Amino acid sequence: MLRFLFRRSLGAIVILLLISAFTFFLFFAAPRDPALLSCGKNCTPDAIALIHKNLGLDKPIPVQYWDFMSGIVTGRDFAQGPCPAPCFGYSFANGDPVWDTIVDRFPTTISLTIGGAAVFLTVGLSTGMIAAWKQGKLVDKVFSSASLVLSSMQIYFIGPIVLALLVYNLEILGQPKYVNFTDNPAAWFMGLLIPWCVLSVIFTAQYTRMARSSMIEQLAEEHVRTARAKGMSRRTVFFRYAWRGSLIPIVTIFGIDLGSLFGGAMITEQTFALPGLGTLAVQSVQNTDLPMVMGVMLFAATFIVLFNIIVDAAYAFIDPRVRLS
Amino acid sequence: MSSNRTRRTHATLVALAAGALVLTACSSGAGTNTEGGNDRSGAEAQRSQIAFGDAAASKGAAEEVPGAQKGGTIKVYQRDTFSHLDPAQIYVSDEGALATLLFRKLTTYHMDNKGKYTVVGDLATDSGQSSDGGKTWKYTLKDNVKWEDGSPITAKDIRHSIERTFAPFITDGPYYLQQWLADTNSTDYRKLLKDGPYKGKHLPDSVLETPDDKTIIFHFKSPHPDLPYALAMAGYAAVQEKKDTKEKYDKAPQSSGPYKIKPGSFKSGKGMTLVRNTEWDPKTDNSRHQYVDKFDIQFGVSYPDSTQRLIADNADNQTAISFSNQVDAASMQTVANDPKVKKRSTSGYQPYVGVINFNMKRIKDKKVREALAYAMPTQAVLDAYGTPGGGELAGSYISPTVTGYKDIDPYGKLKKPLGDIEKAKKLLKEAGKTGMKITFAYMNAPEPQKYSVSIVDNLKKAGFDVQPKDLPSDTYYDVIGKVDNKFDIYASAWGADWPSASTVLPPTMDGRQVQDGSPNYSHYNNPEVSKEMDRIAKMPDQEKASEEWFKLNEKILKEDLPAIPTFYYKQIQLHGSKVGGVVNNDIISGVDPTKLFLKK
Amino acid sequence: MTTLTKTEGAPVPTGSDPFLSVRDLYVRFSTEDGIVKAVDGLSFDLLKGQTLGIVGESGSGKSVTNLAVLGLHNPASTEITGEITLDGQELTGARERTLQKLRGNKMAMIFQDPLTALSPYYTVGRQIAEPFMKHTGANKREGRQRAIEMLTKVGIPQPGLRVDDYPHQFSGGMRQRAMIAMALVCNPALLIADEPTTALDVTVQAQILDLLKDLQQEFGSAIILITHDLGVVANMADELLVMYAGRAVERGTVKDILTSPQHPYAWGLLGSMPRLSASVDEPLHPIPGTPPSLLNPPTGCPFHPRCAFTSEVGGTRCADERPLLAPGRASACHLTAEQKHTFFTEQIKPRLG
Repeated sequence: MLRFLFRRSLGAIVILLLISAFTFFLFFAAPRDPALLSCGKNCTPDAIALIHKNLGLDKPIPVQYWDFMSGIVTGRDFAQGPCPAPCFGYSFANGDPVWDTIVDRFPTTISLTIGGAAVFLTVGLSTGMIAAWKQGKLVDKVFSSASLVLSSMQIYFIGPIVLALLVYNLEILGQPKYVNFTDNPAAWFMGLLIPWCVLSVIFTAQYTRMARSSMIEQLAEEHVRTARAKGMSRRTVFFRYAWRGSLIPIVTIFGIDLGSLFGGAMITEQTFALPGLGTLAVQSVQNTDLPMVMGVMLFAATFIVLFNIIVDAAYAFIDPRVRLS
Repeated sequence: MSSNRTRRTHATLVALAAGALVLTACSSGAGTNTEGGNDRSGAEAQRSQIAFGDAAASKGAAEEVPGAQKGGTIKVYQRDTFSHLDPAQIYVSDEGALATLLFRKLTTYHMDNKGKYTVVGDLATDSGQSSDGGKTWKYTLKDNVKWEDGSPITAKDIRHSIERTFAPFITDGPYYLQQWLADTNSTDYRKLLKDGPYKGKHLPDSVLETPDDKTIIFHFKSPHPDLPYALAMAGYAAVQEKKDTKEKYDKAPQSSGPYKIKPGSFKSGKGMTLVRNTEWDPKTDNSRHQYVDKFDIQFGVSYPDSTQRLIADNADNQTAISFSNQVDAASMQTVANDPKVKKRSTSGYQPYVGVINFNMKRIKDKKVREALAYAMPTQAVLDAYGTPGGGELAGSYISPTVTGYKDIDPYGKLKKPLGDIEKAKKLLKEAGKTGMKITFAYMNAPEPQKYSVSIVDNLKKAGFDVQPKDLPSDTYYDVIGKVDNKFDIYASAWGADWPSASTVLPPTMDGRQVQDGSPNYSHYNNPEVSKEMDRIAKMPDQEKASEEWFKLNEKILKEDLPAIPTFYYKQIQLHGSKVGGVVNNDIISGVDPTKLFLKK
Repeated sequence: MTTLTKTEGAPVPTGSDPFLSVRDLYVRFSTEDGIVKAVDGLSFDLLKGQTLGIVGESGSGKSVTNLAVLGLHNPASTEITGEITLDGQELTGARERTLQKLRGNKMAMIFQDPLTALSPYYTVGRQIAEPFMKHTGANKREGRQRAIEMLTKVGIPQPGLRVDDYPHQFSGGMRQRAMIAMALVCNPALLIADEPTTALDVTVQAQILDLLKDLQQEFGSAIILITHDLGVVANMADELLVMYAGRAVERGTVKDILTSPQHPYAWGLLGSMPRLSASVDEPLHPIPGTPPSLLNPPTGCPFHPRCAFTSEVGGTRCADERPLLAPGRASACHLTAEQKHTFFTEQIKPRLG
C-alpha cells in the first residue's frame, strides 16, 4: 500500500507539472493581453510596456514559467512584499495574493461540496437501491422516470426557480449565503441548504440511475445467485452480496465528481453568488489573470488527481482481489 | 416620503437634461421611448451649466437629505470586486462610487436636492482660483480636515498624492493632471518624476508649489481651465504620505471621507464592510453625509441576481441597494410594467455615447456617409441593449451628462430611428455608388449580434452590397483601432471623463490622434477642426467653452459626418423599499452613495 | 396439434416414494421478444441417495429446471406451473421464506464456474459458514469451525489457514472443492450439481467427481448431476434423463441409455462424444443443425428439423405430432421400438466403435 501511494504520488506530480505547463503556455497562446485589463482608456504602447514590466510579463515565457513554478516551492519576492511558499504570486487583476485567495475561498467550496455530496449520495443511493429492490414495480418506475427528468435539468434553470419560490415568494428560507461553519454552524447550514439541494438535484438523479443499474447488474451476478441458493435472505443478498460489488462503479464516479467539485462548483456558486473556487476560476479566466488561473487550475487538478488515488485505494478496501494482488 | 420627493426632483433633472425626444419619438410613432417618466419629457432641450463653485458654495455641512435618519446597515450588492482601493488606481465607475464614501479630493461634484450639479471645493475651500489665463491654479485646504487616524490633512499630503501618480506602479488611474504638469500629450510624462516621490525627488516648485501646510499651487505651461473637473476624479484623491505603503496601499488605504474600511473586512470575491469614520467632520464637507452606520458590501452578485433580489424586496433585500449593478436587460420590462417595482427604480445617463464609425480612410464621399447615416436603424441598436431603460436615442456625439448639452438631430435620427431608407437610396444614387460594397465589422457579443442583422438589412435595402464581418470581442477595439483596418463601418462607444466636451471631442475627433490604438476610430482628420479644439481647450470661461464645444460638435456632425450617433447609454437601478435618499448621480453614473439612509 | 399440450408420461413407479418428484413442470420467461418456453412439461423422480443425471445441449432446459427446484427464478418475469415436491413438501408456489429455509439446508446447489459463483468480496470460510450459521443458528466461532471441518472433508490442505483466503487465492479445483464444501455444509438431502466439472482441468474433474461420490456415500444425499458430458454421468449416475427443447426425450438407467439408446437425439449425443479407443483420423459426428428456438419451437417433435430418420416415420407425422414419453424406460420418438433397435445397432453403433 505504501509503495502504491508513493508510486501514485510521483505520477501525480508529473501530471500536475504537465497541467501547469500546458495551462501556462496556453495562456500566452491566447490572443488576450492581461495588460489591457488595467490599461484603461487611451491605452498606449508605453503604458502597456510599463504594466508588462510591473507584472513580470516582459521576461521570456519559459523564464516566467520557471519563476512561477519555483516560487511554489521556494517562495518569491514581489513589489507587494515577500510571498512565502507555496507562492502562486499576486493576482494581475486586483493584486491579491493568489494562495491566500484560494485558501480564503476554499471553505465555501468544500462546504458546498461536502453538503451537496452528502445529499446526493444519501438520497441518490437510497432511491437507486429502492428502485432496484422494487425493480419493475411502480416505485421503480416513478424513481426511474423522475431521475431521468431531473438529470436533464440545469442548475442555472432550477436555481433561480427555487430562489423565486422559497426565498422571494414564500419566504421560507433566507437568501443563500456562506457563513463560516466555525462562526455560526446553524447559519452555515441554513445559508447553504438551497445550494446543496440544487447542486445535488442533477447528481442525485444520476446516482439514482447509477445505483439502480449497478445493483441490478450485481443482482444478476452468479455469486449473488449462489448466495440465494445458500438460503440467504433477500436482505442479506441485497445488502451484503450485491451492494458490495455495485459500490465499485459508484465509488469511481463519486471520486471523479468529488474531485472536480472541490475545484469549484462553478454554476452553483455563480447562481447563488457564493464566493467559492468556481466563481474565482471563472472570474480569473475572464480577467486574464494568469497567476490566479494557474493557482486555481493547479489546486483543482491536485484534488482531481488526489481523489483518483483515493478511489484506487478505495477499490482495495472494497475488493480483496485488488488489495491482495 | 422624502425619497419620493427626491425621486421627483431627479425626474425633473433628467427632463431638464433632455426635453425634445418624447415629442419626436411620439411623432415618429416608432419608439419604445414614449413610455415612462424617466425619458425626456420637459420642454427644455438644454442642460444647465455645471458651475465652478466659490467658497460659499463649498462650505459644509451638506444640506440635509429630506426625511433622512441616522443608523442602520445598508447591504450593497456588487457584481465585481473592487479591483483597486488605492485611489490613484481608480478610474472606473464601480470604484468611483465607493470612492465618494472613502476619499476626499481637492474638488468634488456637489449635487443639491434639486439635482443641480456644481463643482465645489472638497478638501479645498473652493473649486480653485485660477490666474494667468488658466495656467496657474491655487487651492487652500479647509480647516479641520483629517485622516481616519486623526492627523490633519496637509498640503504635503496633497503634494505626495499627486507625485505618487508618477510612480511606475500607478498604471490604472487617470493621467490628465500628470500630462498637464509635464506639458506633454503622451505617457512620457513619467519622466518628470520617474520614481514618484519615493526616492527623495519631488516635483519642482515651478510645477507644483506648497508654500505652507494649507496651500497648493499648480503651474502649467499652457492653460487648463478644466482642472477643477480633473481634480474631482477619484484618481486624484488624497493619499496620506505617512501611511503610504506603495503597492500595498491598494489593499489598505487611509480614509478621509465619512466612511472607512473596517480593517480586515475586504475579501475579494466576497465583500467588505464600511463603517463610520469618526474623524470625518461633517462641517468641512458640503456634499457628503454619514447617515447609516455601516455599508455591508457583497461581491459576486450578478445583474440578474441582484435584480431578482431587489424586485423581491423581501427580508434583507428591503435594506439593500447596489452602487453599480443595473437591472439586467431581460428584466427591464418587468421593472417598467410593475408599478410597485418601478417606484423603487432610479435611472440616469451614463457618459457613454454609442456611434457607428465611418472609416474616413475608406469612405471618402460624404454623400455615401450620409446615405449610411440615414439608413442606420439606431432604434435596433438601442433595443439590443434593453428597453426601456438601457439607453436613449442619440442625435449628438456628446452625452447629456456633459455641461451645456444641447439636443441636435441633423440627420433626423430621432424622428426616424428605424432608418430612412428612401433618403439613403436617393443619396447613394446621387453619389453614383448604388451597389457599393461596404464591409461592416461588429463585435461577436450578444448585443451587436442582435442589431447587426437590422443594420445589414437596412443597408441592403438602401442599395449597399453589405459584407458583415464579426470580430472576437476580446480584440475588437484593437482591430478597429488599427489605422489601416479593412473595414468600412463599425460601432464604438466613448464616455466623457468629466462633464466637459473636452474629454470627448479631442480624443475621438482630433486628426493628430490618428494612430494605431487611438479612440479616433473613424480616422477622422480635419486640421481645421483640430485647430479649433486647441482654441476652445484654452478658453478660461467654462460656459463659453462649452458653447463652443457644442458648436464644433454640430459642425463635425453636419459637415464631415465621420460617425453617426446611435444612442446615449443609460442605466436603471433598483433599491430596497427601506432605503431612502436614492438619487441617481450622473457623474458617477449610478446611485449616489453619500445621500443614502434607512427608513425606519 | 392437440397432443402438444399433453404431457409426458410419469416415470416408472419404483415402489418407494420418490424423494424429489417433478410433475408437469413448465417454466416460461417473458422477454421483450416474447415468451420463452424454457421447460415445457417435464416430469421426473429422484430417490433418496440416488443420482440422476440430466444431459442435453445448452438451452435444453437442464439448468432452468434445477433453478426452478430451488425457486431461484425471478418471479416477476418467470411463470412456473406444475408440481415440485421435495420430501412430501410442495415447492412451487411456496413462500420465499419457506424456500429460504430449505435452500442451502435441505437442498443445495453446486454451480458450474466456481470463480464467478463465489463472491469475490468475502473469505471462503465466511461463505461456507454463512448458510450453516443461518440454518443451524450457530455463532461465528462455530461457523468457522464448521468451515474448517468442511474444507478438510473436501481435501483442502491447511484448511485452518485457507479458511481466511479469498476465492481468487484458490486454484480452480480448490474453488470447486470449496463450493462443494459450501453446498454440503448443512448435510443437504438433495444436491444439485450443475456441470460441476465443466470449468475444470480434466485431471481435476476426476478428483471432483470422486469427491462427490465419496461425500454422497457419507451424507447419503440424492444428487442431480447436470452435464452435457456423457462420460461424467457414466461414472456417477444411476438414472439418466436426456433433455431436448425443455422436455425429456429419453429416460432410463445409465446403463440402458449408454448401451442401447432409443432416441435419435441420444444417438447424436453419443456420436458427438470423442472416445479414447477411436483412432485419430476417425471423424466425430456432431448433430447437424442448431438447437431449436425456445421462442418459436418447431411443431411436432422439436427434434424433427435435425433428425435423419423422419422419413422412416413416414408422412409429416414428425412435423405434426408431438411424440409422447411413455412411463418407465422410454423415449419420445415416433419410430417403432423395432426401428429404434435396428437403426441403432445397424447404423449408429458401428460408428461409435
